[in-house]
Amino acid sequence: MSPKDKKLVLAGLAICIIIAVLAPFIASSNPDGLEKTAEDVSTTEESGIYEAPMPDYTIPFLGEDNPYGGIMALVVGVLITLGLGYIAAIFLKRRNASQQ
Amino acid sequence: MHIPNGFIPLWQCAIYFVILIVALYFSQKWARKNLDEKSVPLMAVLAAGIFAIMSMNIPIAFGTSGHMVGGALVALVFMAPEAAVIIFTLVLLVQGLFFGDGGITTIGANVLNMGIIGGFVGLFTFKALRKSIGKIPAIAIASWLSIFLAAEAVAVEMWLAGTFPLVPGLEMMGLYHALIGIIEAVLTVVVIMGLESVRPDLLAWNRKKNVEEVKSESMEAAAK
Repeated sequence: MSPKDKKLVLAGLAICIIIAVLAPFIASSNPDGLEKTAEDVSTTEESGIYEAPMPDYTIPFLGEDNPYGGIMALVVGVLITLGLGYIAAIFLKRRNASQQ
Repeated sequence: MHIPNGFIPLWQCAIYFVILIVALYFSQKWARKNLDEKSVPLMAVLAAGIFAIMSMNIPIAFGTSGHMVGGALVALVFMAPEAAVIIFTLVLLVQGLFFGDGGITTIGANVLNMGIIGGFVGLFTFKALRKSIGKIPAIAIASWLSIFLAAEAVAVEMWLAGTFPLVPGLEMMGLYHALIGIIEAVLTVVVIMGLESVRPDLLAWNRKKNVEEVKSESMEAAAK
């Protein structure tokens, strides 16, 4: 990675971390547009066929309303997507010998 | 606008998964042709950024909240909706698997709405408007329209699934996301113009400019 690209990754990461830190304080627990519409015009409920380890961006053992749990969950998510994006792009990019 | 598990019957989920697989096939073909060394960190940063903005629900009117999506943003940075398909597949997988935001069974539908529809609408609206109204207004309108139409697509899918009646679904999803669209438009303009000023080399429209100019010149010549 060139120094310019390193800067890009660090700057992007910094912005994501800022969002993650602010999120528990700014973010709304109101239902989103889709959930609200579902509440108002439908009887369908979300099915519980799958339990995510960090449901709704909380860390269960830290408690649902713990803002530090929320920040940690988001930071974990940012790092996972950053890593996955990097790996996927390496695999998919031009002049790659491994064809799927 | 992440559709949770249970909102779409499984047989319909299967159709959306088929659409996703076809879209991923074309996207990986695009990537093998167009993604270079420089695109790798950009792709990673965009995936993380899209995760962050989609995870934060901002309060909007009427007791609801909503989040930005960024489908148009990704498609405009790469000038390719295929990039949005790849990034949204990754982000929605992470959101669904780790955070229960959006279902697992509905990943196909969610990528269709936010990545495919969001990316295509964003890119092609921008392309259609850029010359007549200028770059920045075109980015703003394209990104507003991309989130609005993605939301309306959700309403149609919810109707096909038998979850929402059609008209109230279209009205409510449309109204909420017309509001979020304003934030989406501002964010998309800020990020793209920010990249344009610090790293113009990363934006596909600067890289492809020469190729496009040559192409349109040769087409004009052919027309004469």
